[in-house]
Amino acid sequence: MSEGNATLRLDHVTKAFDDFVAVDNLSLEVFPGKIFGLIGPNGAGKTTTIRMIVNITVPDSGRVELFGQLMNPRLQNRIGYLPEERGLYKKMKVSEQLRFLGELKGMSAGAADKAIDRWLDRLKLARWKNSKTDELSKGMQQKIQFIATVMHDPDLLILDELFSGIDPVNAELMKEVVLDLKASGRTIIFSTHMMEQAERLCDDICLINRSRKILEGSLREVKKGFGRHAVALRAEGIDGLLDDPVLISSVKPYGDHVEVMLAEGADAQQLLERLVAHGARISRFEQIESSLHDIFIAKVGEQG
Amino acid sequence: MRKLLTIIKREYVQGARSKGFIISTILGPVLMVVMMVLPGVLFGMKTGEATRVAVVDQTGEMYERVRDILTRSGDVGDDKEQQSGMARGASQMQARYKVEQAASEGKSFDDVKRGLSDRVRKNDLDAYLVLPPSILADGKAEYYGRNLGDVISVGRLQERLSRAVVEQRMLAADMDVKRVDELFRNVRMSTVKISERGEEENSGGGSFFLAFGVAAFIVIALLMYGQVILSAVVEEKTTRLSEVLFSSVQPFQLMAGKLIGVSLVALTQYAIWAVVAVVLALYGAGALAMTGANFTLPQIAPSLVVYALLFFLLGFFIYATVFMVIGAVVTSEKESSQVAIYLSLVLVIPIYLTFPIIRSPNSALSFWVSMFPFFSPITMLVRIMTETPPFWQIALSILIGVGTIVLLVWLAARIYRMGMLMYGKRPNIPEILRWVRQG
Repeated sequence: MSEGNATLRLDHVTKAFDDFVAVDNLSLEVFPGKIFGLIGPNGAGKTTTIRMIVNITVPDSGRVELFGQLMNPRLQNRIGYLPEERGLYKKMKVSEQLRFLGELKGMSAGAADKAIDRWLDRLKLARWKNSKTDELSKGMQQKIQFIATVMHDPDLLILDELFSGIDPVNAELMKEVVLDLKASGRTIIFSTHMMEQAERLCDDICLINRSRKILEGSLREVKKGFGRHAVALRAEGIDGLLDDPVLISSVKPYGDHVEVMLAEGADAQQLLERLVAHGARISRFEQIESSLHDIFIAKVGEQG
Repeated sequence: MRKLLTIIKREYVQGARSKGFIISTILGPVLMVVMMVLPGVLFGMKTGEATRVAVVDQTGEMYERVRDILTRSGDVGDDKEQQSGMARGASQMQARYKVEQAASEGKSFDDVKRGLSDRVRKNDLDAYLVLPPSILADGKAEYYGRNLGDVISVGRLQERLSRAVVEQRMLAADMDVKRVDELFRNVRMSTVKISERGEEENSGGGSFFLAFGVAAFIVIALLMYGQVILSAVVEEKTTRLSEVLFSSVQPFQLMAGKLIGVSLVALTQYAIWAVVAVVLALYGAGALAMTGANFTLPQIAPSLVVYALLFFLLGFFIYATVFMVIGAVVTSEKESSQVAIYLSLVLVIPIYLTFPIIRSPNSALSFWVSMFPFFSPITMLVRIMTETPPFWQIALSILIGVGTIVLLVWLAARIYRMGMLMYGKRPNIPEILRWVRQG
């Protein structure tokens, strides 16, 4: 993980509140044009980490570097941050609200108005432009908040639990937008405790638990390094074939298939050869990878 | 600083457009007019009918004089200038009397009284006076009426009766009533203040009322806008916007922007009211002048008006920032509903302090309380009006006030941000102190 210049670099960052250490000696790098998954269970220190990245709070020790500079308030305009805790002014019109939030990111009123029209259109909210927040549904409000995050065209986008409370249709819409932004070279930090979402979107991940980093790397590498050595098998005529302890450590039955855990040192290829040699009729034979969820459970479980 | 302006603009536009603002802006002048017109209307209703009084004159020589004095319009006596505004207002109610002499021929005194009491009961008469034969010597008379609760009317009747008795006594002692009146005319003293700029004609009363006026305006402004500032600070907590905002602006900018924005809303409202009040006052003064009443607007030096405005702003901002700090601590508006009233009570202290200050405006006490930022908007103003202190003291007092405002905004910002980082829990006092240290 050291190709080119990182968009964001955290260098041995520590933050404590009173005697509770929220983030402990965390280092990480986020690269341009990638979706970086900051994952971990609730209370692991994700939000505190993000708050240091967006300059809401400063580390007790260590450095936060963004775009090659030590983090400072001027860089805030280049970040779009959608916090997990988010809301809108109740009595303001959608357009006023977005213009206000855009201007706070350094946009001119004119540029903000253009961006508002473009984004409302894209997220199918154009007809609500002059409605007040309390007239909108929850889902619409979430989309408005999302627009507020991206309207000033930030170089770094930080999305904390983007999909929480969003229905599948809108979730899909936002996912498309996020992937578009990635394609146009934006860097995205995607923070979540939902592993399935991270797995679908992220290029790189950093897993933190109890204030510390416990795993990092590209999603590919992480999964490879965590090969679970299992095969999903559906076949006829395999009775007795799976009892060899040299080759197989255990067998878990599922509805229409079994999951075969290979023994230490054994190879799936050997198993396939053995099955074919004994004339089994195979309709499914698939090496299964650990899901991020499994890795998460295993890693977090290790720590007790 | 563009972000600060953005925040100010939002607070101002939202505040000035709110229903509460519009309603209270309109209602204010309406109340003003009602307060000005209503007393006149009420007094007018009272003066519509003359009070019917019968006089039982047992001296046999007083009736004419009493009738003349009771039915004479305007004031009696020679002490017009000494009367307070209230008493003057009361006597200007122009109580009219319909006076009759109780016929007593042939009847006993008790019968006469009984007859009159009956008439009072039947509302044929409002009251009757009994002037005993000894009235000139011992000054005792009796009043019988339905409504003894109307203290002002009874008092006025007594005042006029006294006048009649005094005149009668003078006559008996062979004195010229007019001459005595002349001799008893009071002294009028005009007050001149010696200040650094020389002598200034100054109505002390006017400037004194100005100090109380400023204090009252600060209290009213806080009662009306303290809560508004507080809810403006809490707004982002309840709408859960604070984290979004703090990724764009510094907490100090947000707090300062809110303070200025809301204050501008308040000042706009005050300016509108001030214009209406001035128009009403000019109209009222014009109307009074036309009726021929002698009426002078209190004279106040322009420099005092500037100081009054300055210290009003200072006082308003100092207490407004206290509300900000409270808003930063609490997690919802409900927790803070009583605070405005308690804070206004604090403002009563400097009002009490004005008395020792007026007595010795350059004492050590006067100096210190006019430096203390929570009192100085009122106490320093009183000092300026009574015996203008050296300019450096005024400047220092203003400087301390401004410094306090900045410090409190900074404090509010720090507490606010730590509160958010601590996931919206409401801190106790030691925690607040620790948060301020940690920032």
